[in-house]
Amino acid sequence: MNVNYNIPVIFLILVLISCKGDHKKYHTVIDKIEAKTVPFQRDSTFSKNQFSISELITVTDANPHFYIKERKSNIKSFACSECHDRPVSQLQSHNPNTKKAHWDIKLNHADANTMSCLSCHIDNDMDNMHSITGTKIDFNKSYQICAQCHSKQAEDWKGGAHGKNISGWKTARVSKLCVECHNPHNPSFKTRWPARYNATMVDERTNQVKK
Amino acid sequence: MSKEIKKWFSLNLGNKKQCACNDTKSNTTEDGFSQVFDISMNRRQAFKKITAGLLVGAGAVSTSCSVVSSGERKEKSQIEWEEYFKGNYKLMTDEEKQQTVDRLVRSYELRTGKKINISTKGAEKDVLFGYAFNISKCQGYMDCVNACVKENNQDRASEMQYIRIHEMNDGKGLNFGEADDTFYHEVPAAGHFYMGTQCFHCDNPPCIEVCPVQATWKEKDGIVVIDYDWCIGCRYCMAACPYDGRRFNWSTPQIPEQEVNKEQHYLGNRLRKKGVMEKCTFCVQRSREGKNPACVEACPTGSRIFGNLLDPTSEIRWVLANKKVFRLKEDLGTEPKFWYFMD
Repeated sequence: MNVNYNIPVIFLILVLISCKGDHKKYHTVIDKIEAKTVPFQRDSTFSKNQFSISELITVTDANPHFYIKERKSNIKSFACSECHDRPVSQLQSHNPNTKKAHWDIKLNHADANTMSCLSCHIDNDMDNMHSITGTKIDFNKSYQICAQCHSKQAEDWKGGAHGKNISGWKTARVSKLCVECHNPHNPSFKTRWPARYNATMVDERTNQVKK
Repeated sequence: MSKEIKKWFSLNLGNKKQCACNDTKSNTTEDGFSQVFDISMNRRQAFKKITAGLLVGAGAVSTSCSVVSSGERKEKSQIEWEEYFKGNYKLMTDEEKQQTVDRLVRSYELRTGKKINISTKGAEKDVLFGYAFNISKCQGYMDCVNACVKENNQDRASEMQYIRIHEMNDGKGLNFGEADDTFYHEVPAAGHFYMGTQCFHCDNPPCIEVCPVQATWKEKDGIVVIDYDWCIGCRYCMAACPYDGRRFNWSTPQIPEQEVNKEQHYLGNRLRKKGVMEKCTFCVQRSREGKNPACVEACPTGSRIFGNLLDPTSEIRWVLANKKVFRLKEDLGTEPKFWYFMD
């Protein structure tokens, strides 16, 4: 039995040593992410310049939960009842002698069939808001008001695709609240001029065309 | 006149035109070697050139060893000398990294009298940075570009920008050929949408493969970086990048002293010089400190999402799992870690 094992052995050695390089271990970056994912704990403390937990509200109906900034202390002249001591029906009088408030607020949010002041505000309790079904909603949880109609945006916001992370990627998420970007009385983004114009790029390109 | 000067890099491809000058010798194209060595010169000129070359080299040594030149000048040339002979950042030990950073900080202090802070913070374990861009949200306001230029000490004179915002026409798809990235009118313009591009920090980056001196590489946390002191400015990487992600310093970057961002990283926004490549580093000086890049922070629309791809609770992972995401030129296999999505 003089079988020549040379060729199979060399072949086997070649197969064994010619494994892929370490840097090409994953076919796609998604494979890499899936393989390397670790159960993560984001830092629950914020760095010095950022937020203190006491001024944050936890959004518990999202998983994982995240934080928003306390709202009431940032509303100028809250509580509203300090001025609005009577129900709206009385304040609304067209008597020229009564003081007018919020004369600058013009509702530009959906149409009149859908929205009026009282869709969100409560007639005789200015310090709170209410849902479509009349449930009281605190100003600090105002996103619950918006989420009634904008449920898709609310889901995206809870997941992190809508809105904005303001605490950084490493610490627990603090998100901007709906009303920090959208004025609830006039919510759409406005057109404006871009923050900059690249004159050099334009110049280089037009000159190139001339040549 | 300028056409008569033959440069070693001018290939004259398809340019068979006879030179306007009468000199018959210049009709034949000389290669770089002959341009340097076949220059006819007399003995006096040759000696002059050799002496000049020697003087430059000897100057640095003599100034650093000189007993007469002032202490500051001596220190300066000492720093220059040591910086000149330092190694590739990738191969440096922590001690060597600290030494070069100390030299750079000191050199800036000697030059301007101001202190800067250069970090060498490395990649963290279990971190892979990723980025998502919502093309239905971006309004073309360009606040991100402003923030980026300021944060990363980009050259003001040539208006270098890492980020480009492309104004695309609705109904024409992602057509970069017809997109406008130098728009200046009220935005968002009707019938248009906006899409930002920058370095995508590919997981399989073609730019690092072509670098002849290994001056650019991918860090453990996925950020593609450049060692500005090792880069020779050949721009191969610029040509290899399919996304127009890299920029070149044609001139010495100029930043007004009061606008220099003094929180710097060796691989990030430290001051560059003429003739080196640079690009977006996901603001390595910020992201490695747990902050979001400057563009993410500046965006008024929330179109930009940044996070750790290995953290299953991160926003970027939620976007990847729940949104219809896509990347540019996916078929190239570059595996960008920069996803686009729509609401």
